[in-house]
This record gives sequence, C-alpha cells and structure tokens, in this order.
Amino acid sequence: MAINVNTVYTTVLSILNKEQRGYITPYEFNQLATQVQLEIFESYFENLNQQLKVGENASEYANRVKLLQEKIARFEVEENIAVATSEANLSTLTDTLHRLGTIHFNNLSYLPVEIQQVTKHEFNLNRRSKLTAPSLDWPIYYKEGNKIIIEPAETSTVAQGKYTVEYVRKPKDVVWNYTLGGVGQYLHSTAAPNQNFEIDDTDQTEVILKILMYSGVVIRDQEIIQAASGAAARQDQLQSS
Amino acid sequence: MGLIKETNAQYYSGQTVVGPTTNTNIFSFKLAETTSTNGFNTELVSAYGLPLLGTGKYTRVSETSNFTIHNLTTNTIVPEDEAIVSNVSTNEVTIVTAVAAGDFVLCQLKENAIDANNGSYSYVSLNDIIDNFMVAYTGQDQILTSVKRSQVLFHAKRSIQEFSYDTFPVIKSQELTVPPSLSVPIPQDYVNYVRIAWVDGNGILHTINPQYGLSANPTELPVQDSDGIPTQSSFGNNINAEQSLTEKRWANANDANITGNYDPFENQGVYDYIWWKQAYGQRYGLIPEVSNVNGWFSINDRTGSISLSSDLAGRLIIVKYISDGLGYDKDMKIPKMAEEAMYMSMMYNIIASRRDIDPGSKAFYKREKYVKTRNAKIRLQNLKLDEIVQVFRGQSKWIKH
Repeated sequence: MAINVNTVYTTVLSILNKEQRGYITPYEFNQLATQVQLEIFESYFENLNQQLKVGENASEYANRVKLLQEKIARFEVEENIAVATSEANLSTLTDTLHRLGTIHFNNLSYLPVEIQQVTKHEFNLNRRSKLTAPSLDWPIYYKEGNKIIIEPAETSTVAQGKYTVEYVRKPKDVVWNYTLGGVGQYLHSTAAPNQNFEIDDTDQTEVILKILMYSGVVIRDQEIIQAASGAAARQDQLQSS
Repeated sequence: MGLIKETNAQYYSGQTVVGPTTNTNIFSFKLAETTSTNGFNTELVSAYGLPLLGTGKYTRVSETSNFTIHNLTTNTIVPEDEAIVSNVSTNEVTIVTAVAAGDFVLCQLKENAIDANNGSYSYVSLNDIIDNFMVAYTGQDQILTSVKRSQVLFHAKRSIQEFSYDTFPVIKSQELTVPPSLSVPIPQDYVNYVRIAWVDGNGILHTINPQYGLSANPTELPVQDSDGIPTQSSFGNNINAEQSLTEKRWANANDANITGNYDPFENQGVYDYIWWKQAYGQRYGLIPEVSNVNGWFSINDRTGSISLSSDLAGRLIIVKYISDGLGYDKDMKIPKMAEEAMYMSMMYNIIASRRDIDPGSKAFYKREKYVKTRNAKIRLQNLKLDEIVQVFRGQSKWIKH
C-alpha cells in the first residue's frame, strides 16, 4: 500500500510544531517528500544487492530479499517499444525509464525470447563469432543514450510492437495538494494533482524521520536534525544488520 | 503435462482435421511449439506464397510443399498452388477458394515430412538445451550466478561439435556414382570420413582404402621456367597449372601393377597358377593394404573432392562421413541419452574459463563432464545383451574370414 501524503504531512507538522519550533509550507514539504521518496527508493536496489550477498531465509514475512523485491515490483512496468523504421534498428526508450530490465522479442506466436544486453564492444565481437552470431532465436542489443540497437533488427511494420521492454520507472513526485480555508489556512485536497507516496507503507516511519531531518535544516534546528538523523540511522542499521 | 503434444494421428498418419469450419478460407493446424494443446511438430511449408496472381493461383516460391489440404465434406483436394502458409508459427493456411461454412478440412503431411518427424522424440533441440541450462544452472545461489547467454550458446555449440566427432551416432552418408573424372565433391557439411566403400551387385559394401602414400594430390601446381623457378603473372602471383601430372598418371594407372592382380599366367602376379592354392595370399613382399581389388581414394584439398582410383570408374559408392552437428538447423539436436553429458560439458567449459570459481568446483565438474560423457558413449553404443551373446557364439567356430 502507498503512504498517504496527508498522514505524513500532518505527522511532520505535529512534531515540528511542538514547542513552536517551526513550520514548513506545503511547497517545501512537497520538495522534501519527493527527495526523501527518491532516496528511499534508490536504497531498495543497494539494500537488495547487500541482502543477496547474505543469502535468503525461508520465512514468509521476514525474508528481506523477498520484501525488497516486492517493494521494487510495484514500480516494474512492461510495455511494447516500437522500432523506428526510419532509423534502421534504433529504438528510443521512454523517459520514465529508471532502470532497464529485460527486453523481449516476440516472434509471431513463438514464446518470447530475451534479447541479451551487451556492450558495444561485445556487440561487435558477438557478431564476428559464427557460433554466437545473433539470430531471431538469440538476439542481442546494446544501449546508446536512451536508444537501443538490436541485432538482428526487425524493422518492418510487422515488427512494431514485437519488442517488449521491462523496466523500473521512477516514483511520481509527491504532492500534498491544498485549498485555502476561510481564514487563509491550508486545507488538504485529494483532487489532482494530489499524489501520495508510491513507495511501500512499511517505509512510512523512515519517510517521516527523513523529512524531519531535512525540515530541521530548513528551519535551522540542530536538535531536530540530530534526533531525526539518529532515529533514521538506528532504523537503517536494524534493517541492514 | 507430458512432453508429447502430437496426437497419434498427427504422428503416425501426418493428419489433422479442423471443423466444422467457421472461417472458410483460413485454417490453423497449430504448431506444437506454440500451443498448449495438441499440434504438429512439423512446420508447414508451402511451395507457393504471395502475391496472388490474376489466374487465381499463388506465386511459386520454392520446390515443394510438405502438405496437402483436403475438404473432407466434399471429398476434394485443394490444389497446391491455391494454398499458402500465412503464419508459420501457428501453421495457419490460407486458401484461395473458400470452403462452405461447416465443412471439415484435413491437413495431410506428405510422406517425407512424416518420415522426418518419426523418431523425433529421442532428440532434444539445441534451443531447449540452452533454455534448460539457463533455468537450472544459472542465477542467484547457483555456481554460475551471472553468465552471458552468448557464452552458453558458444559452449553449447562447441559441445555439439565435440560430441558429433566421437559421441553422437550421427554418421551421414551419400550414395554416389563415380564419374569418368574419378572425383566427387566433398559433401557440403563434411568434417571427416568414416568409411568409403563401393557397392557390389548384392548391395554389399567393400571398403575402399586410402592411398597410403601411393600417390598424392598436390595443393599447388606452379608452372616453372626452364631453370625450375615458378613463373608469375603480370599481377605478381604464381601461375598454376590446370591439372596435376601426378593425378593424371594416377588416374591412368593400371591397378594390377600395384596389387599384383595379374593374369594367372603371368608368373609375377600373386595369382600365378604355379602358386595357386599353395601360397595363396602369402607371396613374399605382399603388402595387404595395397594388394586388394577394392581400389583407393584420397581427399584432394586442392579441388575439394574425393579422388578415386581408375578401377572404380562407373561404380556405385557410399561415402560415410561425420559432420559437426551445426551445418543445418535440423542437425542441431541432441540425443536424449546424451542430454546430461551436454549440460555437464557446457557447465565445465564455462566455469573452466572463469576466475570466480574455486578450483575444487572446477575439478568436480571436470570429473562430472568426464563421467557423464562416458555414460553417454556407453548408452549410445547401443550394446544389447542378445546381440552380444550372438557375437560371442562365434568364439566356438573354427574358421574365421
């Protein structure tokens, strides 16, 4: 489940406002929330890498590898990519792509075949070896900017939609949307462009602590920074030990 | 679910029926590979394709179709030039003249297509081997955590090559007639010969021996000047003669001069009547490998042909040879009895070149490869108890040829 943006904002404000320490505006909150969400989202991949080295346990609810994979899975997207016939075999990837996963080639009704990613250097080497030369059964590609070059290329109009790309997209920017009340106060509105946090709700505590830490910087309160970063560090340690 | 997807009718008779038809000119006879239900192992191939000509016939695109379409309801056959395969992956056939809705349509494979599919269950395809290997031996918590598919592909093909030479029972053969030129081209996918023999009137094979150095097939034929120096063309390259004199003399040689198979009344021959039945085949100086009537052959690398001796002109010969299993798509299959040996061979060959694998694992898989390959060889030798018993019975017979 996603984290409700209003829950986080009100929690942050109630902690910040204790003893009249300070206040952050919705604009500042949205900026900090987006930043924190990206930070936590990015840490999924690093943590997964760490956990894969440790080895999995068989628990249903405390298997860290499984939990992290589930957290990432909600950002996984599969969509068709078109081959630009005007540019031979060049195909442009979408801008929302954050981490490229697998590209499949769907040849007629045969089972889709994974296109192997190689570097430009390996691409040339593979083509030269008669045993590993790419074919419709074993295609390869390399990435150049946000374009992919596939071999062998299927550039005919029939090929449009034959390639499926699986990737992880970036989380959407967090927006605490509001309307103005009768006395000029901010009232939360769930109408567009309101946007909840997309990361997993098990990270809600970490989200609040990190936003508090950055809020401490905004309102220049060392005590908030130290308390929040200490709590966040303890949680990080718990999750990775 | 079982691995066999063809029905008995599809396998034994090469037949499948669709109907009652709703779509009256497009029929899908299904390909086993792309369906979860029953389907043909054989991809339908049509000798005709688009465009449809003004005559109401399709355009000829290859030699022959491997199927015919029958309307069972009207008991008629759709002409071959009025049917094309419109989707190869679903075995979808489109015909020019639609049948009536509700008719039953039969696809009948031709005899050679049925023959080609017979026995296919004893093999597994190269693609399946690679897919299985990637699933079972690579990935998280496996010895091969991360391996490029192109590496797997390379080692799979190399293993097929190596196994083709001494493990798989894939001896190919061609039946040829020796022309007056005394040479036949080397088969397209030839790697090495196994046996070359001529066929007598009873169909029995008689092994033709290699030349054993009696003659030679030179690889270059430089034309020399009077000083013996090779001459060059205006482009600076050596000028080569059209024909080898050695080969010419060998082609004209009288084999009897080599074998000693003279007229019985010539006393220098091995069959001289004076010696007849006294020292038959035991003449002093007789060389058994050249003293036979079966002729000689040599592999001529210059012309890419198999050269045969003059006494074989006009005879029927059988050339048995091995390929490397990669020449044609249909060759890229592995006997199921050697499947495990393939996996272990690929496994060891991959880890042998990796530095992140400990020496203990490398030694383990080296042994595994050896053991599995030996097992595969024993299995594929096809030794059956009854057959061995029959051979062993020969030990009590006194006279052996």
